[in-house]
Amino acid sequence: MNVRTWVYWCISGTTLLACGGAPVPHDALSAAQADVKGAEVGGAGDNPKAALHVKLAKDQIEIAQKQISENDNEEALRTLNRAQADADLALALAKEAKAQADAAEASEQVGKLRKEIGK
Amino acid sequence: MMRLSTRFVNGCVSHSYVASTALVAASLSVLMMACGGAAVPPQELLDARSAYAEAAKGPAADLAPAQLDTAKQALAGAQQNFDEDGPNQETKDLAYIAQRKAELAAAEGGREKAERKRAAADKDLRNTQTQGLENFKKTKEALAAEKVARAEAERKASIAMASLAEIAKVKEESRGVVITLSGSVLFATGKSDLLPIAKEKLNQVAKALTDQGFKAIVVQGYTDSVGSASDNDALSMRRAQSVRDYLVTRGVPSEKATAEGKGASNPVADNKTADGRAENRRVEIVVTPEK
Repeated sequence: MNVRTWVYWCISGTTLLACGGAPVPHDALSAAQADVKGAEVGGAGDNPKAALHVKLAKDQIEIAQKQISENDNEEALRTLNRAQADADLALALAKEAKAQADAAEASEQVGKLRKEIGK
Repeated sequence: MMRLSTRFVNGCVSHSYVASTALVAASLSVLMMACGGAAVPPQELLDARSAYAEAAKGPAADLAPAQLDTAKQALAGAQQNFDEDGPNQETKDLAYIAQRKAELAAAEGGREKAERKRAAADKDLRNTQTQGLENFKKTKEALAAEKVARAEAERKASIAMASLAEIAKVKEESRGVVITLSGSVLFATGKSDLLPIAKEKLNQVAKALTDQGFKAIVVQGYTDSVGSASDNDALSMRRAQSVRDYLVTRGVPSEKATAEGKGASNPVADNKTADGRAENRRVEIVVTPEK
């Protein structure tokens, strides 16, 4: 093999490696899984709407894992982005529901106390 | 298009068919161009637009502007992708994410609003508790002060009654406390002008009454049975009025004091004896207590 041939194969090999498909979205997978966990810890299970989005996120993580196993990494990344959006929304909904319940309880306490004082 | 439209008739291409198909295709192209070739947005993009509009109308606009802006940018990204590449999967994915971000902004706005409401309620609770404690303290103080005032009033009343008992007969009856003053110490015979000694006694009565407090007094004049009833009625009335007016000059509120002439009615002793007649000639002050 002369130098010219060697350079040709080097360039060809590098090009093939660079164009050999998207890398496995490990980070996106970990982030989506962590967000789902966060939503569950944040009380998403106590609110039906939040629970629905947790389920959507989990389903999509499962799909993404399948896509990764089929080397469809680009598609998997997009699916994981969707999953993460669902998990983040689930946590926000859970927090909102909790804040609303706390506010209602505080208002009720004020009402009760006023009633007692007014007696 | 031409390839798809190609048809064989008996193994040969029908030229007339090719020509007509090409005409239809050209017409369709012109029509599409006339309509701007606008692709229909995918449902995901429509949902994202609607979710963003909803979030922007709610509390997120003021309370979660950063999240709302993120949602806006995500929606713009999805829209741009759609404008450039049409309703492909990437557009759908971006719109899906944009919709979630808009809903997240709305939820953050709702959470912030609820937290503010809760903080206000907590503050209200603390204020109400403080107010309640203050009211309790004030009530307790007022009760204590009232107790002291009542004890003082009772003490004064007791002293007043004791001083009255020295100059007049004091009796508690169903009609009220009755203070009886002998007519002989108040008036000369047949007269209704107060004697100087009478004024001294009435000064004490007035002081006792004003110290003790009362709701109303009725000054009733009585005579013995000597003389005509009409003369006795008139004399008893003048004497009662004279006592009532003097008491008013000594501080008894005029609106609370009235006078009545009772004549020879309700004798308290026998009119046949001089002592009995002297006892019947009298002025009674009927006091209605405050409570």
